[in-house]
Amino acid sequence: MSTAVDDDLWSAVGDPTRRRMLDLLLADGRGTATTLSRHLPVTRQAIAKHLAVLDRAGLVRSTPAGRERLYEVDEAQLARAVAQLADVGAAWDARLRRIKRIAEAIQRSQAD
Amino acid sequence: MEFGSIEREIYVEAAPELVYDVVSSPEHLREWWPDDIELDPAPGGAGRMTFGRAGDPDAVVVPMTVVDAERPHRFSFRWAYEEGEVASSTNSYLATFEITPSGTGTLLRLTEIGFRERGWEAAVLEERYQQNVVGWAYYLPRLVSYAEGLVSPR
Repeated sequence: MSTAVDDDLWSAVGDPTRRRMLDLLLADGRGTATTLSRHLPVTRQAIAKHLAVLDRAGLVRSTPAGRERLYEVDEAQLARAVAQLADVGAAWDARLRRIKRIAEAIQRSQAD
Repeated sequence: MEFGSIEREIYVEAAPELVYDVVSSPEHLREWWPDDIELDPAPGGAGRMTFGRAGDPDAVVVPMTVVDAERPHRFSFRWAYEEGEVASSTNSYLATFEITPSGTGTLLRLTEIGFRERGWEAAVLEERYQQNVVGWAYYLPRLVSYAEGLVSPR
């Protein structure tokens, strides 16, 4: 059973803007609220809030950079989030394959 | 509030009625999901799935409540809320099987929504991420070191 998902991780990656930010950080290696806001249709302030959510979930790490903070993705934590996302769908894929096998076996036995 | 879902489809070479019975009856559920189950597969019917051997301290009991049961079209239930609670949109998953005739068999569609009414939209992105899991694990370290060699931090 794979229902145990980490709430903070789920809500952190459950937002399209935050996922886009993760993509940008992965592509560029690192970024600040200012550099990210150049690629996204939201304000720098909104980006800063999203970064705080990602930070709390452990998905990004930051270091001071002048008046801003420089963010990069925490690969281990991201891998964990990805694994959890994949888990839920993969569990259903496996169940559906079993349903198919069982139903088809019964159908064949009825046809005999 | 985001409200997304996991969606899956599978073609089954069997009659819709048969597919309906496999996804809804306790005797069949036991074959494809929990180790044991008690379930009244009628609207409002309650059930309990057991994962692990009943009575074993490691066994997990998961309550479920049937929402729709329209043979052979649709079977849906809420599950994974705490025992003793009443299933609702804020404390459970809603899994729905939709069953439609297709060719000589049946198209079975599964939708699951509502992890505390959020987060599931992320699951739609799952496929993209899933594809990228291997890619990231493999390419990311290279990409990062490559990028660091090329570009000075902004």
